[in-house]
Amino acid sequence: MTAQVVPAARRTTATRRWHVSEHKVAALVLVTPALLIIVGLRIVPLILGAQYSLTGDGERNGMFVGLANYRTLAEDPVFRTAVKNVGLLFLALPVAVAVPGILATFLFLKVPGHRFYRSVYFFPVVLSPVIIGAIFNILLSFDGPLNQLLGKAGVAPVDWLGNSNIAIFSVIGVHIWATFGMALVIFMAGFSTLDQSLLDAARCDGATLPQTVWHVVVPELSRTIQFVFVTTMIGMLTGMFGLVYVMTAGGPGGATYLPEFYIWVTQGQMNSPALASAASMVLFVVMLLVGLAQIRLIKRATKEV
Amino acid sequence: MRERGIGRWVVAVPMCLLALATIYPMVFTLNVAMKSRREYVLDRFSLADHLTAANIADAWTSSGLGRYTFNSIVVTGGAVALLLLLGSMAGYAFSQLTFRGRKWLFLVCLGALMIPFQVIMVPFFRVLGQIHLLDTHVGLILAYTGQFLPFTIFLMTSFYSRIPGEIVEAARVDGSTTLGVYRRIMLPLGRPALLSVGILNALFCWNDVLISLLVMQSEQHRTLMVGVTALRGQYSDNIPLFAGGVLVAALPVIAIYLFFQRQITDGVTAGSTKG
Repeated sequence: MTAQVVPAARRTTATRRWHVSEHKVAALVLVTPALLIIVGLRIVPLILGAQYSLTGDGERNGMFVGLANYRTLAEDPVFRTAVKNVGLLFLALPVAVAVPGILATFLFLKVPGHRFYRSVYFFPVVLSPVIIGAIFNILLSFDGPLNQLLGKAGVAPVDWLGNSNIAIFSVIGVHIWATFGMALVIFMAGFSTLDQSLLDAARCDGATLPQTVWHVVVPELSRTIQFVFVTTMIGMLTGMFGLVYVMTAGGPGGATYLPEFYIWVTQGQMNSPALASAASMVLFVVMLLVGLAQIRLIKRATKEV
Repeated sequence: MRERGIGRWVVAVPMCLLALATIYPMVFTLNVAMKSRREYVLDRFSLADHLTAANIADAWTSSGLGRYTFNSIVVTGGAVALLLLLGSMAGYAFSQLTFRGRKWLFLVCLGALMIPFQVIMVPFFRVLGQIHLLDTHVGLILAYTGQFLPFTIFLMTSFYSRIPGEIVEAARVDGSTTLGVYRRIMLPLGRPALLSVGILNALFCWNDVLISLLVMQSEQHRTLMVGVTALRGQYSDNIPLFAGGVLVAALPVIAIYLFFQRQITDGVTAGSTKG
């Protein structure tokens, strides 16, 4: 092979020029279809959505109404609940990150059977939220197995999905149950990039396990931890539709609405696409803030390095 | 670093309990699906008297799940084929070729990763309606392709950038055109990556309910996951039959997981360690 590379370097400029342009045409052919799809099916709709959000619904269809839709949203109690529930998601975030983080640390220490645990923990991640929602619909129903179990322990039955104060926590809990395996696997990938010599050095210095974790593992994995925080949050903001749809359908009394569910209902059932677009933009801004936080954290991390 | 002694057993207990909590809901559902309705009403937890697949079979025949499965297979297959083709083409260009605007165009693709479907749902619905693709298989295939293409390009680019430039260079010297390199080198060498990315995309498409609910409107075009949501109303008074239907819908995914576990976790972590 090396023998053939040498004459190539001596090619005449004419052939090379042709070569370069063939190469450019090919690059264009390779990239264009994907770009058309991405621009046409994602970026153009995003711009259209921003525009729709400033127009009216129903009789005022297509008319410019300024920020009226956003004002309607701010006054809509259902949308307010949805936003409040996003707040709950943020509160649940540390739990959703800490549980897989701690488990990954254990697995990294190679407790017996770590491969088995890894496969078991990851398993719900591949199941559809619809399947998981359906299973927990059975488990959490008022006369269902969980309440029977509680009854045997002398605890009064809890209306997991029918009580407006509890239902959202049930749904968030199930989401965390279903997705912590994802964060776990990402953490484990981070652990595999950990510099073994740092750990050895810590051990030589006589550091205890908690000290090692706190002073060596956490700083070394700071990027992974940030990545997990952001992806988990985005997963919560955009991956719970199936669960809400199957487990509570937004109820009771709108208590389990999340922005994505609100958008879907407003577009479909309420037939108010412009209002739904405004809600979409609000969700998009929240997601952008989460994403920007990630970019900032990464920049700071790279400066430290 | 390996923890020894009592410590690792102290850790093993909660890990075991959590593993149980992860797997038990599935086992419970399987057991329920094997029971008669009477048995379930009498005792939720008892093991099924005799193992029977009657509920699973009933759920399959009485609920139209067959038709929904067919729809899911068509749509998932079409979308995955399109995703792999377009994703590997663009991934090859972004990782191995130099051309003007490469960085900028790659940024556009990555930027689209930050646009979730929920955000573009309303205009997407309108646009699809205007080009008469609502409630069609092609429409849903396009929707999935648009949804998962940025992620696919990202993964394929990072996989392909591990193929040494010398191999491409050598092939070029041997007289291969740029597109020839794609066909003769990128596709064969990228097979493990294509498998990994393909399985991931297949799971995403198969498991989706939001996009499918939006695009497919008539009952006969429902995909399997939307079909499962309808089972709930259908069998609300017969939990074992409901459990049977849920299991039918979960089986393909469980099988894929058992066979391709490594490819799946490789795929999801490839996106994380790069950043």
